[in-house]
Amino acid sequence: MSAHPVIHTRDVRRVFESRKGFFFNELVRTEALKGVDLDVDAGEIFGLLGPNGAGKTTFTKIVSTLLLPTSGTVEVLGFDVTKEAHKLRPRIGLVLGGERGLYNRISARENLRYFADLFGVPMERRDKRIEEVLERVDLVEAADRRVEEFSRGMKQKLHLARGILHGPEVLFLDEPTIGLDPKSARETRKLIRSLVADGVTIFLTTHYMFEAEELCQRIAVLSRGRVVAQDSVAGLRKLVGGDRTIEVEAYGFDDGEIQRLRALPGVSRVVSEEYGPRLRLTMRVRTNELELATIRTMLANHPELALRERRTSLEDIYLDLVEEEAS
Amino acid sequence: MAPNAYSRGRSLVAVLRLSVLTFLADPQWLIPSLIAPVVFGLVAYELFSGAGPFFVLYAILGAGMMSMWGQTLYGSGWATGADRHLGTLEPTLSSPTPYLYVVGGRVIWNTVAGLFGGAIVFAVVAVTYGRPIPLSDPLDFVLMFLFVIVTLASVGVVFAAAYVYTRYAGFIQNVGEFAFYVGTGCMFPVVLLPFWTNPISLVLPPTWALDALRYLAIPGYQGFSWGFWWDIIGAVGTTLVYLVIAGTVFKSVERHVLEVGDLNDW
Ligand SMILES: Nc1ncnc2c1ncn2[C@@H]1O[C@H](COP(=O)(O)OP(=O)(O)OP(=O)(O)O)[C@@H](O)[C@H]1O
Ligand SMILES: [Mg+2]
Repeated sequence: MSAHPVIHTRDVRRVFESRKGFFFNELVRTEALKGVDLDVDAGEIFGLLGPNGAGKTTFTKIVSTLLLPTSGTVEVLGFDVTKEAHKLRPRIGLVLGGERGLYNRISARENLRYFADLFGVPMERRDKRIEEVLERVDLVEAADRRVEEFSRGMKQKLHLARGILHGPEVLFLDEPTIGLDPKSARETRKLIRSLVADGVTIFLTTHYMFEAEELCQRIAVLSRGRVVAQDSVAGLRKLVGGDRTIEVEAYGFDDGEIQRLRALPGVSRVVSEEYGPRLRLTMRVRTNELELATIRTMLANHPELALRERRTSLEDIYLDLVEEEAS
Repeated sequence: MAPNAYSRGRSLVAVLRLSVLTFLADPQWLIPSLIAPVVFGLVAYELFSGAGPFFVLYAILGAGMMSMWGQTLYGSGWATGADRHLGTLEPTLSSPTPYLYVVGGRVIWNTVAGLFGGAIVFAVVAVTYGRPIPLSDPLDFVLMFLFVIVTLASVGVVFAAAYVYTRYAGFIQNVGEFAFYVGTGCMFPVVLLPFWTNPISLVLPPTWALDALRYLAIPGYQGFSWGFWWDIIGAVGTTLVYLVIAGTVFKSVERHVLEVGDLNDW
């Protein structure tokens, strides 16, 4: 199994057609995915990042059999999602999250029981299993309350509980920690890691960069329906030009100075942005040779020069990639 | 570990259970579907009690039908609309259980609830006037009554399919409601309607079944001039057609919604 990726897609495209206007006479075409190639290996946590409307949810629904691709190859656990969805469904779990998607008038436990039945969780194990997942998401005490009384975060936890109820081999999570307080979000990340320890492969989308950095072995960045990068965080750092990020701040720089900074050894990228009354240059640096002192000497004529160095974060990488794509 | 397998029986029971629980969580909604028919039944009684017991029965049967109609026919489709609205259609479709069984469970529940509603209308009218409804053969009547509700359920399944198919099904249903009440002859005899409406009435299975029921219950009933047995044949025939339509639609409906991708719009 490990030789073959658990999720394998090639040139996945998805077009939405909807009608607008009073007489539904205006046809609107949206190309949500424009040829997505992704491979996710067994047992890894794979993160899909991207701006709003990039196509993350669309892609998640396609790989979890809830939406057909307009064209392209999509295989999950070796099954073709367009032809073998019925074989795949018992083996995968999907958490779309949000406030909706639950039967509000009945209790959390009854919701789980209903879906356990639809998913065919063996009868003799069902009630025990429900108890187990309730415990895992910390909802035991609220289990017999109506879902309509739940807070947003509690609903999110119930979504998660339902997603893992039938013991899926692959779990798809669309923004699993959205709406959770910091403690619950951390517990959810712990839960995700413990699932991986049990051998589950995780595919998740998120807008929280630190979350992706903390959890994911590999990450893909989706922008306007295209994968602009797909690698480990370390690999992505190389891709955007370096582990080191140096920020230089002063009341303005001239073009010549920026040119000279760019020409320094190991510097791959210099971006300037206004920062209040000041200008900030963000530099990606590949090597350890370049010392801050060198830059300080170069820019010695600037009063109140501020100079900082940090490790390139996933957020830096993400913004680089998405901005590059946009320009 | 072998993947879990769904079982049809278990899925049906689960859906029935969910329907009952949802109903018990908020049973008030039964009231609107009973008020109109009960009022209609009582008014009919007042108006027609001079015209003899059988005319009264005619009207009361219509009232009972109205009640069952709402529950049996609309309940099944409406539940799918509610699934869209709640966002539960997606997790339901992502389960291995084919959606047809989910609808099946709801049709069974709504049929039972519809029977219950019809019985309440009869009971209220009978109790109010302290007189039982005259029936020549109660057993035949009950069997026929069940038959009527099966024909209703067959239309219900088609409606449910429409609800899965498109989120505009509710609109079609609202427009169609009055036409159905009148068209099937629950309110007054179909023969009183203008001739051009007859084809509309005759494509609805309950029209035939209801006419047959009246043959059974009302001595000397004229109805359609072709008689009881042709009514039965017509009802069975049209019901089968509806079931075939529903079956065909359901074969493609799941694929259709996955293609269109509007499972969640409301
Ligand atoms: N059912 C639909 N009908 C028409 N267009 C759709 C539909 N679903 C998504 N789209 C469009 O497809 C594009 C991608 O949407 P998608 O929801 O996949 O983005 P996303 O990356 O999940 O965004 P977000 O971060 O906001 O959740 C958007 O332009 C969206 O408007
Ligand atoms: Mg999304």
